[in-house]
Amino acid sequence: MKRIFSLLLVLTMVFSLSALVACGKTAPGWQLGDATFDPNAEVTITFYSTMGTTTLAPVADAAIERFMEMYPNITVIHEQPGDYDTVRDTIKTELTVGAHPNLAYCYPDHVAMYNRSGKVITLDQFIDHAEYGLTDAQKADFIEGFYNEGKQFGDGFMYTLPFSKSTEVLYYNKTFFAEHGLKVPTTWDEMEEVCRQIKAIDPNCIPLGYDSEANWFITMTEQYKSGYTSATGNHYLFDNETNRAFVERFARWHSEGLMTTQELNGGYTSSLFVNQDPTLPKSYMSIGSSAGATHQRPDKVDGAYPFEVGITSIPQVDAKNPKVISQGPSLVLLDTGDTQENIAAWLLMRFLTTDVELQAEFANASGYVPVLKSVTEISTFKEKLDNANGGDNIAYLSMKVCLEQEKYYYTSPAFNGSSTARDQVGALMKYCMENYTTHKNAGTIDKLIDEAFKNAINECESQL
Amino acid sequence: MVDSKQQWKAWLYLAPALILLAIFTVWPILNTSIMAFQEGYNEMDALRLGRWGFPIGLGNFERVLNYSKFWSALQNTLILCIPTVLISTLLALIISVCLNSIKPLQRFLQTIYFLPYVTNSLAIGMVFAAMFNIVGTTAAENPVISTYGIINNIIMMFGGDPINWINAGSTYETKLIVVMIYIIWNALPFKILILLGALQSVNKQYYDAAKIDGTGKVRTFVRITIPLLSPMITYVVITGFIGGFKEYSSVVGIFDDAMARTGQLNTMVGLIYTSITNSNTGVASAAALILFAIIFVITMINLAISKKTTYY
Amino acid sequence: MSNNINNVTANRETALHVMKEKDMNQVNKTAKIMKVLGYIAVYAFLILMAFIVLFPFYWMIISSLKSWQEYNLAVPTLWPQVIHFENYAVALERANLERVFGNTVYVGVVSTLLSLIITILSAFAFARLEFKGRDALFAGLLATMMIPGELFTITNYQTTFYFGWGDTSKWGFTILIVPFLVSTFYIYLLKQNFLQIPNELYLAAKVDGVSDFKYLWKVMIPLAFPTIISITILKMMGAWNTYVWPNLVIKDKDYLLVTNGIREGDYSVAGAVDMVNYPLQMAAVAMVSIPLFMVFLFFRKYIMKGVSRSGIKG
Repeated sequence: MKRIFSLLLVLTMVFSLSALVACGKTAPGWQLGDATFDPNAEVTITFYSTMGTTTLAPVADAAIERFMEMYPNITVIHEQPGDYDTVRDTIKTELTVGAHPNLAYCYPDHVAMYNRSGKVITLDQFIDHAEYGLTDAQKADFIEGFYNEGKQFGDGFMYTLPFSKSTEVLYYNKTFFAEHGLKVPTTWDEMEEVCRQIKAIDPNCIPLGYDSEANWFITMTEQYKSGYTSATGNHYLFDNETNRAFVERFARWHSEGLMTTQELNGGYTSSLFVNQDPTLPKSYMSIGSSAGATHQRPDKVDGAYPFEVGITSIPQVDAKNPKVISQGPSLVLLDTGDTQENIAAWLLMRFLTTDVELQAEFANASGYVPVLKSVTEISTFKEKLDNANGGDNIAYLSMKVCLEQEKYYYTSPAFNGSSTARDQVGALMKYCMENYTTHKNAGTIDKLIDEAFKNAINECESQL
Repeated sequence: MVDSKQQWKAWLYLAPALILLAIFTVWPILNTSIMAFQEGYNEMDALRLGRWGFPIGLGNFERVLNYSKFWSALQNTLILCIPTVLISTLLALIISVCLNSIKPLQRFLQTIYFLPYVTNSLAIGMVFAAMFNIVGTTAAENPVISTYGIINNIIMMFGGDPINWINAGSTYETKLIVVMIYIIWNALPFKILILLGALQSVNKQYYDAAKIDGTGKVRTFVRITIPLLSPMITYVVITGFIGGFKEYSSVVGIFDDAMARTGQLNTMVGLIYTSITNSNTGVASAAALILFAIIFVITMINLAISKKTTYY
Repeated sequence: MSNNINNVTANRETALHVMKEKDMNQVNKTAKIMKVLGYIAVYAFLILMAFIVLFPFYWMIISSLKSWQEYNLAVPTLWPQVIHFENYAVALERANLERVFGNTVYVGVVSTLLSLIITILSAFAFARLEFKGRDALFAGLLATMMIPGELFTITNYQTTFYFGWGDTSKWGFTILIVPFLVSTFYIYLLKQNFLQIPNELYLAAKVDGVSDFKYLWKVMIPLAFPTIISITILKMMGAWNTYVWPNLVIKDKDYLLVTNGIREGDYSVAGAVDMVNYPLQMAAVAMVSIPLFMVFLFFRKYIMKGVSRSGIKG
């Protein structure tokens, strides 16, 4: 019986696939068709975000007010159900009774899940629409790497637009580097060298702290082009010789005391970086979120910062083809079955992602990177960028680095299981690092690496 | 005659509870139990394929049983449940009896023992991190340490060597011990509250009689207190076991969510949560039914033992 | 066998006799010392355990008074370097506690009262009445506790929508209270407590022609009062700690509860919105714990009063 069912299932899949190809790719889900927006009919739409109620929501709400003045028949309800996971869980449950919002903050793996319900609206039909679409200038204004996240779902369609992003940057102790004539590393080979030099200067230090093992692994696979995941076909591609080699290399660094991560250290790596207590170990470089710059700045001592923080792009494998991760919320449209609502929600989405003023204000309030290049044309914003420094204006220094590396951003494929892959590669990296010393002494490092990769692949494939 | 009247009355008294239970407990259980037998049932897919758009079969159970971490999750669940329930019950019993036997400071101490109850779970998780956590590269060849944590500081004060409890390179056993301490400690206030309340319902005359007979303290405890409290002890143990098998939050409390899921200490409910998060309700229900079968057997054994030892 | 016992008794008597002949005061003294030592041991144990049990509460309070920077020090401090009382003011402002407070008390009181009535009736039926299928029904009730409750969420969400309670501006309190009125956990607890009360009392009352309700009200409830108070406290605490369900169903902000207020408060760190300012969050958490603690102080004497006043002979 089961066999027949699976056979039928495969047959239907083959048929639907061929049908898809035959029609020259029909977008899934709700279709706009020839429908138009009625500017006189009252319409209410709901928007879910994770914006903090006292810091960020007021900025967005002021912009939404402007939007409602532009479209007097649209009323926007802006809600904050909680953090990203809560937004996802709430929407997931609400979808089952049709009580979901029209527009929501999202991460790519959330969209991959919602998309199984067929309720996610593809954006190509809007973006290219003569009346409601984006102008060529607007399209070109997006930072390309951020924009492309919307197309990472394996079928070539656009599902999300970026709202506000962050990345990883390298924070370094500029004062210390200048004092000892050290060169800020741009490649991982240089990084190893600098770490060894620092360790020789201060033996009781951990030269480099890296926030997230998962980000590190995924970024390395992009820099090496060695394969991580795929949205179609065989999803999990990360078990290969190149990846095994860099994991072993970094595990060795950790064992030799050159670096640590947040979880391996049992505390914020930024605390090591800003530490001013001479009895406690320090670090001199820290790779972490660009949105956490103020956290990487030491407290003032006697009215002055004890050292200056430098910020630059993270090291690369190939300095000519640099890659850095892109994180942070995008926006997704969900079909509520009401054409007017769907169009109104798109208009709000278009407004939130392309309004330069809002993008600049939001970046200012959050420390996140705006998704539009033209924010630098706003005079107040430009002024702040020009005055950016490693002290009081550190958030803008971080933003400046992020805007300068606009060509570097990559995004990972999104599919059901992409968040598991992320968890698993982080865990495998951590596992190799924490067990390297023991296995080195036993001469079984190859076995350790092999086991960790096989286990991670196995977990990804048998996940519940 | 009396018998049939009692029947009628019993169902009347039970009616409000049974009606509400049928709607908000029994129905969800039935509904999801059906999903357990619908292969690959997923809440999101169901919106597209319909409620009955999934083949009937045992595929969800197969997936759970074939999951690479299933047996380790089951093992963790058992290890985290059985000893902690027994130890915490015994400790709570001793504390309650001691509290009941003293005069000065009684009210003050009772109040203190209640405070953990009003302490938010957020704080409880964080304090454990601070107590057992070593900040530093514990797994490097030459570790660079910021702090050994409060517990290790105490151990070192008495001349012992610091133990790597939960940090990088720590063993499965030490991690397990910390989670067990956490669970016991978390369970104490509730058990003390229940047992202390129950002690008050015990007729003082039994004790007066024991006093007159000159029975010793320990003997009184074993021969009088425990039998008189036996229904409540049964209660605390059985509900403790049922709750203990559903343990997951304490693992998350000490290790964060991603680590709890990918680490060595994942439990059965951890697996269920993961599949609920992925909206794979079919698999989640299958795992829940497997867990249910285990808890059910253990509870029946518990009840059988308690029937023999309960004095009412 | 009997010989042995006789021997032991004889020995004891001799021993006692010898003792009596010796200094009787000496014996009293030893007993007294033993008694004092016992008390010291009991107090030492209770105080040690109190410290262990109290530690997280202490941690919550000191964390709530620290600065964000101090909270993140690699070596945690056991006492704030500088006490930041203003955390409480900031938290109060950010956590939106005013409105949620009244809601929580209302939901807590109503659901506790209704829940107590249902629980007492059911526990009485299970503990005192004989009816067909009692044990099977009870086992079934226990069985419902063995399924993780998270699995119920989606079905219950759909059910409440089917009932039309999804319009929370009308049904806000209903949707918060009704699905959680019955707890098998408490029915079981009270049933066990009722079992502690000798059945003879009920049979005697029946013979005297006392009605069930009168018996329940005059005998069972007073005897089980400490447990009923415990249930009250637990249920109130439930209203205080519930988060997932209200957060999911309540769309009308007028019906949110305390934990939603805390969790949805904005504790982000200025300039680094991804970071949580835990000291502020701890201050909010500590603040909402205070009323709960007061409730306990108020009820504690009832828990501890016990049965002495009812004067019933077992």
